[in-house]
Amino acid sequence: MKTVLCFGDSNTYGQVPGGTPLERFTPEARWPGVLRHELGVGWYVLEEGLSGRTTVHNDPIEGDLKNGRTYLRPCLMSHAPIDLVILMLGTNDLKARFGQPASEVAMGIGCLIHDIKELASGPSGKIPEILVVAPPPMLDDIGEWQGIFAYAQPKSHQLAHDFEVVADSLEVHFFDAGTVITSDPADGFHLSKDAHETLGKCLAQEIEAIGWGD
Amino acid sequence: MPDMRFAPPNPIRIADRSSGMNAVSVRSYNERLVLSLLLQTKGMSRMDIGKKTGLSAQTVSVIVRSLEQEGLIAKGEAQKGRMGPPTIPLSLKPSGAYAVGISLGHRQTDVVLIDFVGQVKAHKTLPALEPSEPTNHSVLVETVRQAMEALPKKEIDRIAGVGLALPEDSHELALGPAGMAGRYGTISQEIEEALGIEIYVHNDITAAAAGESMFGAAKSMDDYLFFYLGARLHHRLVLNHQIFQSSVQTSNPVGLLSLEEHLQAHGQAGDALWNRSSDCPDFGGLTSHWIDRCVLELSSSLSSASQFLPLSTAIVSSSAPREICAELASALEKMHPGVSVIAGELHSSPKAVGAASLPFSSKFVVES
Repeated sequence: MKTVLCFGDSNTYGQVPGGTPLERFTPEARWPGVLRHELGVGWYVLEEGLSGRTTVHNDPIEGDLKNGRTYLRPCLMSHAPIDLVILMLGTNDLKARFGQPASEVAMGIGCLIHDIKELASGPSGKIPEILVVAPPPMLDDIGEWQGIFAYAQPKSHQLAHDFEVVADSLEVHFFDAGTVITSDPADGFHLSKDAHETLGKCLAQEIEAIGWGD
Repeated sequence: MPDMRFAPPNPIRIADRSSGMNAVSVRSYNERLVLSLLLQTKGMSRMDIGKKTGLSAQTVSVIVRSLEQEGLIAKGEAQKGRMGPPTIPLSLKPSGAYAVGISLGHRQTDVVLIDFVGQVKAHKTLPALEPSEPTNHSVLVETVRQAMEALPKKEIDRIAGVGLALPEDSHELALGPAGMAGRYGTISQEIEEALGIEIYVHNDITAAAAGESMFGAAKSMDDYLFFYLGARLHHRLVLNHQIFQSSVQTSNPVGLLSLEEHLQAHGQAGDALWNRSSDCPDFGGLTSHWIDRCVLELSSSLSSASQFLPLSTAIVSSSAPREICAELASALEKMHPGVSVIAGELHSSPKAVGAASLPFSSKFVVES
């Protein structure tokens, strides 16, 4: 049996667009759940989504616990051995409080890739396969979130390109979710149930395309 | 000193790739590995590619993504497996790259434009040069230009180069007008200057073998004896995809020229012999004598080569219509049980298509 770790933010957690973190899609409806269904019995799918998670930043407002980097290592260790790590982060790094250009967010993703490689928590101490997923761009209208995400929308359109540059130079898998889904208009940056469904199916194909042998 | 792990990522690999601007530049070794495989076999999955190349899944992922964005390869329809999500086959994209091939002969000059999977998109035949004419190079250059411009404008940049197949056999050179051989020397330079495109020059028989190897009958074969039926009969030994050519290589007079003379002596025109894509007229048994002689020569070469190495395959390629190759192939096969003899599969001039394969070999294929 193979293990895939889905490491992400509220869009991996399955937060309902326009809702609060307490409103969450059911396990079957969230993309890791769709993935579980698509991949079948040969795969163990782990969900590690946290609302507000950043790549590498301690959030001065929401707290240090939102830092993806500090949580990733114990998380990998708790779930080892892991065959595949999916990283879908980046949107929260675009909050005004961090003041980061898209290229720096991509550097944050690169940092997580280095950590995963260094820890080598794959089978027999190998490096797991790593799949970077660029989140779909934010919509222009994000309602009352505009202050928190001031200047974020144009950057959100650059994430896919900059993530791919990092994925290429570090030789890891890459998928641009923006090619198959869009953000939901209810708040402009979360994913609808349909989007979760589509994303789960597409990622299952991406995982299959990696090729796993026996 | 800064921690180099966190130096800015190197964007060179994907710089401009979506524009396809650098698509036909010389590729890295690993990219060539992947492209070579896809030239041989279409519809491979990333896992197949990883297994055959020994590259890691992540490296294959990066290369495939890059080649896909540059328009050199494309995903096929997802194939539903017995279990799990469907797998996605990868193939070369026909419009990913093009090449022009020119074959020069005493009788005619063939110019073809082929796409990345070897389909002939344009083919023009120029008549032989009259002995009195000083040169036909300007006509040739113009024909090459027209073949290139037959492509949509945005695809002209995807022409990887021009291949030139030159005869070197002294008997065949002697068939042309005096001084023809000397003029061949300047053609590549003339085309390069007029069209500003890279030229790859090769021996014509070796080019034909390269064409059958990349796009024709020998696509999936490693070792075989290659026969080419031109004005005379030629042969090459191919081992592990490598075409060997000896400096003392000789041709045999049992070629199309002798067949044509035989037909003419019996009042038949032999023009169709020189046109690969023509229907072979019924010569009413006139060819059988020649076929017998030719098969004896083929058989003798095959027997000689078999003394030195176990050969299980021979290929008979020609500019002549397919029926003639097929007849030779089946007759030869009967004489050599255990050897499979295959008629060439290229639809138009194998020398010209082979010439066009040269820029692809040079830029996209690993040396085996």
